[in-house]
Amino acid sequence: MSEIVVENLSHTFGKDTEDALVVLQDISLTFASGSFNTIVGTSGCGKSTLLKMMAGLFEPSDGRMTLDGEVIRGTDRRRGMVFQQDAVFPWMTLAKNISYGPRLRGASRKEQAEIEAKWIDLVGLKGFENRWPRELSGGMRKRVDIGRVYANDPDVLLMDEPFGALDAQTKERMQAELLDIWTITRKTVVFVTHDLEEAIFLSDKVIVMSARPGRIRHIEEVSLPRPRSGEMRLTDDFIQVKRKLWGMLEH
Amino acid sequence: MKRFAFLISGRVILGAASVAAVLLSYSWVTGLPDNNPALLPPIPHIGEAFVVNVTRGTLIDALGASLYRISMGFAIGTSCALVLGCLIGWYKTIEYLLDPLIEAVRPIPPLAYIPIVIIWFGIEEFSRVLLISIACFMVCVVNVVAGMKNVPQVYVDAASTMGATRFQIFRTVAIPAATPFIFTGFRIALAAAWTTLVAAELIAAPSGLGFLLQEGRRYFLTDQVMMIIVIIGACAFTMDRTFRWIQARLTRWSEARE
Repeated sequence: MSEIVVENLSHTFGKDTEDALVVLQDISLTFASGSFNTIVGTSGCGKSTLLKMMAGLFEPSDGRMTLDGEVIRGTDRRRGMVFQQDAVFPWMTLAKNISYGPRLRGASRKEQAEIEAKWIDLVGLKGFENRWPRELSGGMRKRVDIGRVYANDPDVLLMDEPFGALDAQTKERMQAELLDIWTITRKTVVFVTHDLEEAIFLSDKVIVMSARPGRIRHIEEVSLPRPRSGEMRLTDDFIQVKRKLWGMLEH
Repeated sequence: MKRFAFLISGRVILGAASVAAVLLSYSWVTGLPDNNPALLPPIPHIGEAFVVNVTRGTLIDALGASLYRISMGFAIGTSCALVLGCLIGWYKTIEYLLDPLIEAVRPIPPLAYIPIVIIWFGIEEFSRVLLISIACFMVCVVNVVAGMKNVPQVYVDAASTMGATRFQIFRTVAIPAATPFIFTGFRIALAAAWTTLVAAELIAAPSGLGFLLQEGRRYFLTDQVMMIIVIIGACAFTMDRTFRWIQARLTRWSEARE
């Protein structure tokens, strides 16, 4: 079980000052255990802010969030996060990056090596174990980011536009691979993006947000069958969902 | 690989060329008929002074005394700078506490402390090491703090969402991320150490390279003075190159240009 519940959450930057800015208003959401959820919205709708709050990087001014009934306060290894920017530590080799989390908790060399081997294989970076991050491409570094968070074995995965900086082909390939890994591990995922197609392709549930202040506009349960493949993007069912949600996004 | 080897050799050749150019023009000037060798000693005279001082043992003694002071002062000064700089750069409370103090004291040239240090501690080895430590500390601490402040937030956030404690982030993220800055601080501190050393020895020392310089001035031994200047340059250069080498080894991960 790892269910995240957001209850009546609002957030105001500079609360109680003259230029207070409401970024999130009355957000209530439930992310079921083991589900893949995506939050879409135009920039400035507060979706990244919401995600960072779930990670515990800062606290909402009103309302609360719980993970399995426990109020979220501060960061915790149970809520892993993949960032929009490149967060691979440049001073560690690829393998050391992957086993960073377990090493923090005093995993033995043998355990570290096992975890490294398993996740480097799963994110498709075999043969690059001892490379420095600067020797890797942007897509490969993103794989390291994802592998590193998975290797830390969190209950929930928070992903903040992880593929935003990648080219279209790499992006599609990484989406498919992410679904493969998710299918194996069945961890709860909350994914933030501004790419509608990406959201529909990946998710069980797409949450559409409107901006200024950020509110929930619509929640779409995506009933497309799994496993999903790239061609699915071209089916009528897919396009129908896309058409429906497209009208809700502010362009 | 071949191209790399060529670049290396090209680099050495270019570096040697500029040194050779200076030496050649110097020997040309000193070779002019109306040159006064007592003011501008020709290179062979400088070499002679070197041989004389080596055989008398004075040069080795002086070099030993000076290097001892440099290493002690450097070690003490940069260690303090490392510890305090990390604390100031990482913990806000300590920054608010110590930063104004350091910023107020930092612009004071270390040599300004010479009178008070002599009054308090006398013309002792301790006084000279203390002065060099102060000089090293002041220039180094700024770089360490800057290094800590420049740790990218996303690395800190990534580590903390993986469950790292504040101290673990400090140890596994902040320190490595700040290494390039810290090493730059070390190298600047080394230069400051030499500056302060010679000044301190000129004023108050019974030994050392500064003492030999002072002796040269007193007895009008221009060749000895020139020789010591070259020795200081050579020592500082060698040390800096050693540091650069260590830095390059420790920050192989860095994307910085060679």
